[in-house]
Amino acid sequence: MWTWFYRLASPPYVYRVAAALMPWFLGVAVLMIGYGVIDGLVFAPPDYQQGDAFRIIYVHAPSAWMSMFIYSTMAVAGAIGLIWRIKMGHAVAAASAPIGASFTLAGLVTGSLWGRPMWGTYWAWDPRLTSELILLFLYVGVMSLRSAFEDSGRGDRAAALLAIVGVINVPIIHFSVLWWNSLHQGATVARFGMPAMPGSMLWPLLSNLLGFMCFYGAVLCLRLRGEILNRERQATWVREAVKS
Amino acid sequence: MSAGAFWSMGGYARYVWPCFAFVCTVLVWNLWSARRFHLEARKRALRNLAMNPAEQAGNHQP
Repeated sequence: MWTWFYRLASPPYVYRVAAALMPWFLGVAVLMIGYGVIDGLVFAPPDYQQGDAFRIIYVHAPSAWMSMFIYSTMAVAGAIGLIWRIKMGHAVAAASAPIGASFTLAGLVTGSLWGRPMWGTYWAWDPRLTSELILLFLYVGVMSLRSAFEDSGRGDRAAALLAIVGVINVPIIHFSVLWWNSLHQGATVARFGMPAMPGSMLWPLLSNLLGFMCFYGAVLCLRLRGEILNRERQATWVREAVKS
Repeated sequence: MSAGAFWSMGGYARYVWPCFAFVCTVLVWNLWSARRFHLEARKRALRNLAMNPAEQAGNHQP
């Protein structure tokens, strides 16, 4: 039953599987994001309060969701690397960090551009914005800590520890709009009960979210292959893998 | 919806389009940098193989 899990610890197996999965992830991502962007920009009706500015949600919300999802993935992968000493856990965490950091930056920039017409300012020290900025610093910290050690094993362990400690920030980001007074609007989709959006607005958003997740899968597969090659340079199987 | 109305985004064009452009740039950068990272790792591995052909040892530990 656990055979598949143990196989995920094998670098040659993961290297092969990542190569096979990457084009599928990318294909689905292009289709889903293509549909989501066209439907969101052209066919979704304008919001009754925010007008067409609300369309920023179609890139802002998926970017912000991905920033939290990728950080959680990185923390889980780091924990797997620490607890079971599976090198692939650390490789997944290392490959995820720059992707997550870029989505966090995208969430902050698009949120800032959305905030200007709605709140009258590009930035406020609001709980949601501040905790998302802390997430960006955590990503930068994890990447810097990993590269600060000459011994890659020690760097992996230190980065995994920081990722695990920092994961406490993820629920803080999500619930910040409920726990404190916030300029940021409350949850629209991920909330108890039905989403607070009609289907014509919701479907392109869900399509973009799924597309962004598949895109992360595709980029992770590519980066993971690079990480594996860097870590397994001395292994016999690499000779065949890089020559093919 | 006319083309003019579409591009003006109800007067919010200066906020909406830069958001889409920035996220598009982030997506393209991610793909480009990941591909470059993989290719560089592959080149390093090939160079390593060329320099130390006799030192190849099986190492399949997870």
